[in-house]
Amino acid sequence: MAAALFTGAFAIASLLAFRSIHNDLGEKLDRTITDTYAVMVATYSPDDIEDLIGSVNAHVAADRGKEQIFMLTGPDGNGLAGNLPARPVPAGWATLQAAELGLAGEAQYRTFTGEFDSYRLLIGMSEADVSEINEIALTSFASAAALVLVLALAGGAALAINVQRRMQAIATTMSRVSEGELAARIKLTGNGDDIDMLSKQVNDALERLAATFESMRHISVDIAHDLKTPLNRLRLVIEEAMEAQREGRDVAAQLADAHAESDQINATFDALLRIAQIESGARRSRFARVDLTAVVAEIAEVFGDVAEDNGKSLATAVEVAAVDILGDRELLIQMFSNLVENAIRHTPDGTMIGIGVSADAGGANAWVADNGPGIPVGEREKVLRRLYRLEQSRTSPGSGLGLSLVKAIADLHGAALELGDNKPGLRVTLRFRSAADKAAHDAGA
Amino acid sequence: MRILLVEDDAKTAQYVARGLAEAGHVCDVLASGRQALVQATHEPYDVFVVDRMVPELDGLSLVKAVRGAGVKVPVLFLTAIGGVDDRVEGLEAGGDDYLVKPFAFSELLARVNALARRPPVQEQKTMLRTADLELDVIKRMVTRGGVRIDLQPREFSLLEVLMRNEGRVMTRTMLLERVWDFHFDPKTSVVETHISRLRSKIDRPFAVQLLHTIRNTGYSLHAPR
Repeated sequence: MAAALFTGAFAIASLLAFRSIHNDLGEKLDRTITDTYAVMVATYSPDDIEDLIGSVNAHVAADRGKEQIFMLTGPDGNGLAGNLPARPVPAGWATLQAAELGLAGEAQYRTFTGEFDSYRLLIGMSEADVSEINEIALTSFASAAALVLVLALAGGAALAINVQRRMQAIATTMSRVSEGELAARIKLTGNGDDIDMLSKQVNDALERLAATFESMRHISVDIAHDLKTPLNRLRLVIEEAMEAQREGRDVAAQLADAHAESDQINATFDALLRIAQIESGARRSRFARVDLTAVVAEIAEVFGDVAEDNGKSLATAVEVAAVDILGDRELLIQMFSNLVENAIRHTPDGTMIGIGVSADAGGANAWVADNGPGIPVGEREKVLRRLYRLEQSRTSPGSGLGLSLVKAIADLHGAALELGDNKPGLRVTLRFRSAADKAAHDAGA
Repeated sequence: MRILLVEDDAKTAQYVARGLAEAGHVCDVLASGRQALVQATHEPYDVFVVDRMVPELDGLSLVKAVRGAGVKVPVLFLTAIGGVDDRVEGLEAGGDDYLVKPFAFSELLARVNALARRPPVQEQKTMLRTADLELDVIKRMVTRGGVRIDLQPREFSLLEVLMRNEGRVMTRTMLLERVWDFHFDPKTSVVETHISRLRSKIDRPFAVQLLHTIRNTGYSLHAPR
């Protein structure tokens, strides 16, 4: 667990600090001893030991608590001065117990014994102080470590509980969403941490999901509502046929009507489905570079004769050699087909239809225009709605989905669709971003 | 021709089977994908007509399995959904053609016939001939009775498709797909217009009519029988 790791690290640090303190104190002690020794030895001269003895005695007198110990022994090992019973000690540094020095108590002494002219001088200091400091340090560090452990555990627990609570909140929200509460979103704490960022992304995805659902719901409502009419019509025709049959009349005409009506319903349904598929944006992933001028040229070639056969003319006005956009060629063909066919079907004989492409810094523009009756200003927005028919077109064939399909395809391509006045007639303009532009924009989006 | 129809909707199956029988074909009907897999890998057939949504083993998986077993019989998929992705999926699974429901039986029949006989020889031919009408694929040249006929590119493609399928009925949808690569149905008479233009160039000036209109179904190019 993190707490154990944390505490462990702290313990090691403490240990190192402790060792450092211990060594420092030890060195200090030794230095004091060395200094005292140096001072005392300075008073020695080979033929006058009395000064040294005096010095030792003075030091002994000054030190009452037996924190400093002194011992001066002569050539035959006898004690000359000091507060220790005379005993043989090897030269150099040593750490000795009180008992080893013939003293009472439990104290430990650090000693230095120097030899000169067969005299020996021992200077020692009690490590009681040092021990005490060490003990205090050790206790402090141990308490601190314990405190750290407790805090780490508590803190870790608190953090874990917090995280757990937030995860639970996310889980609950997702659960609500899957139960149908599409508006549910995860609450953000606003502190911008990882969980918040994740929550935000989940919320964004939920937003998109909700939009898709709404669109689908919309479509099914549209479909239900708008297919009811032709379905009713179909039913009526079949009823007529049944009645005619009961009366022994020929039902061929009604059967043909019923067949045509059912085909119409299917075509409408297919178109609605197509629009839904396009609106879902799935086709965007298969976009490729498409030359808009080639698409327009193809449309012109395909529908030129058709327009003629229907008493109209189709002219092309391509102002650039080639211009690439990012898109789905098949959908673009269908879109322009719809626009040209609309012009062919909803205008009187003699109408001139034109199709063209131009390009500028902003992107590529394509247009389909005619000099027919056009669309009244008030209706221009409505015609883009599914299954809407202008009054004047109500009786002509077609499902009324042509323009909404055009809009769906334009939207998918990120192209702006505009229905304008061709003065006279209708001018449909599509503004596309150039392929490079769009790719850059999509990458950054 | 022996046809295996994999369709679980009884009415559709009955309708199609009867139609195919009337057209002179033998039709076996199975309602389960799994049964169809066994049948398809054990019996000889000329064409498979497979509904994508059948129980026990869906149409797509069935065809993948059949192809995996090395059966090269052409497959026509039937489906309720006709999006580009669905079409491509079908082709990638090993299907050869795709028909969206509801369909006119004549459409199904025309496509089944087109699938059944696809001799490789025909596809490699660069010189197509029907009666005295000749089409040179490489040189993009059409002559009839030795007289050179000038065609627009689209008219040429249309004639090529009709000639490669000599004698077979090509429906409007089939022509839209093969000549224009349109997988939607334009509401205007694209095919009719071009057929009429083509006719005026290759048939009208001549005594014998080769391009025939089959009412409510499509067109066919062949010498008079």
